[in-house]
Amino acid sequence: MALSSRSKTEFMITIEHLSHIYPGTRKTPPRKALEDLSLDVRQGEFCILSGPNGSGKSTLFRILCGMVLPSAGKITIGGHDLFAAPAEARRLMSVVFQSPAVDKHLTVAENLRLHADLYGIGGAAFNERLDEAIGWTKIKDRLDEKVDTLSGGLARQVELAKCLLTRPQILLLDEPTTGLDPASRRDFVHTLQELQGQRRMTVLMTSHVFSEAETADRVAIMKGGRLLALDTPQTLRAGLGREMVVVKTRHPEDLEKRILAEMGWHTRRHGDELRLPETENGAGLPILERMLELYRDDIESISIKQPELEDVFIHLTGRTAQEIESETLEGVAP
Amino acid sequence: MMRVAFALARREFVRFMRQPQRVIGTVAQPVLFWLFLGSGFSSSFRAPGMENVSYLEYFYPGVMLMMMLFASIFSSITIIEDRDAGFLQSVLVAPVPRLAIVLGKVFGGTAIALVQTIIFTLAAPFLGLSLGIGTLAMLMAAFVLTSMGFAAMGFFFAWSMRSTAGFHAIMMVFLMPLWMLSGALFPIEQAPFWLHALMTINPVAHALVLLRDPFYLTPSQMLADQRYLVALAVTLAWTGLCLAGSMRRVEKRERGVKSAG
Repeated sequence: MALSSRSKTEFMITIEHLSHIYPGTRKTPPRKALEDLSLDVRQGEFCILSGPNGSGKSTLFRILCGMVLPSAGKITIGGHDLFAAPAEARRLMSVVFQSPAVDKHLTVAENLRLHADLYGIGGAAFNERLDEAIGWTKIKDRLDEKVDTLSGGLARQVELAKCLLTRPQILLLDEPTTGLDPASRRDFVHTLQELQGQRRMTVLMTSHVFSEAETADRVAIMKGGRLLALDTPQTLRAGLGREMVVVKTRHPEDLEKRILAEMGWHTRRHGDELRLPETENGAGLPILERMLELYRDDIESISIKQPELEDVFIHLTGRTAQEIESETLEGVAP
Repeated sequence: MMRVAFALARREFVRFMRQPQRVIGTVAQPVLFWLFLGSGFSSSFRAPGMENVSYLEYFYPGVMLMMMLFASIFSSITIIEDRDAGFLQSVLVAPVPRLAIVLGKVFGGTAIALVQTIIFTLAAPFLGLSLGIGTLAMLMAAFVLTSMGFAAMGFFFAWSMRSTAGFHAIMMVFLMPLWMLSGALFPIEQAPFWLHALMTINPVAHALVLLRDPFYLTPSQMLADQRYLVALAVTLAWTGLCLAGSMRRVEKRERGVKSAG
């Protein structure tokens, strides 16, 4: 990618040739976390950063919010060099961390006011911005309650409201939905996207939940400190060039055995759903027709399924879901 | 910058007041120490040059020092808690001067110590100690200065700690001995040679002079007393050093190394 030849103004975040090596200690060798990573996020884009544990996404996140200085490379935030002019760059950003950054002993209002004070937003300006920051939330009637008493989903809303007070152009979020139940998780991402649209924010969020990545404008997939792919979810899925036939049936166990015995196909069972082996694009239809011919009476519904982002992820990183969980980067010998 | 520091300090204070068990614990423990040890040792205690001073009275400024030490320890532990909880990260990424982050904690710890020591000062008349306006003002100034010193010292140690267990070790082998060897429990003069030496170089011993003298001397006597002035200079110096050291620690950002080789 020839970054320098592109116009920089359409990018809100430009990361160029970023490398990071954690210093070693007496007992552990230095560890390479990022290697020559270049990535840019366009203005107004919702970009999700995903990768297995140890892929470097957390390191990248910490560097982006200015907490860690990298070994090499350059980051430009809204035209400001993050390392040369951190104060200007910080003013454009708001950060939601994985662990809750609200004080649970304080009330919602106290938390918001404290955050405003940190960003030098006083009295009149605070009151003016309060409405726009919490107008969308369910916490606007619970301002005087301690954060302690709120549910996980609502506490996350306080977190997001707090960030909106500073009218950020860029919102960075690190696994913001960790610890939320699926409904709250969906709510959070949905709300986030609405807010992003209304306020024209650029959002960069790390996530390991693939359903969240499906809703992003672009998804970056990292592994071993390198960027493996950066594209729209649709393009990523299409790039895999595979599909599979999925059958719904009342008696999945029976059908599974019969398909294996009669056709020799190994199916995978997901609840009442049977997934036939993956095929090249276009090869699914003949299989579907053959299935209907043979098992019509047992089939409730049948379809050809395009791969999901998770499949793309597994394909690109070469890791199964279990391995993704346990994977870490290997140390670099000193 | 002060606005940020005060906003952070207010948070510390509000948090403290909302945890009644902490309020009770930090006030009651030193008072119990004072009453039990003070009453128990009273019959056997004779300090040279302070023959008509009861142990309850001798130990009184020492308990004030202890309150400041405890307040500092508790506010330092909140640094570790804040880091764990994620609150600290959000303060660190905010465009605020790093000194404001240190001062926020230090002022918060100081305010908590002040509430306790001021309440405790109400016991002075019962010991037959009287305070004029001038001496009261100097006592308050000593409260503020010493509390800040302790809070900054706690901050300095707690900043790099990742667990409260680690901080407990620092507290037991370093902070508590500083208090024990300050002259709070027993006078420097009577101690064996090696202990005497340790106590003389202990900066906290000088803070105790600032706390004890207002009960026995007038402001003009204090300001004319070389011992008091030295104590003031030493206390100012360690408070300043701890603040500067803490700020350096907060300013230091983690940095990647150039090569793995």
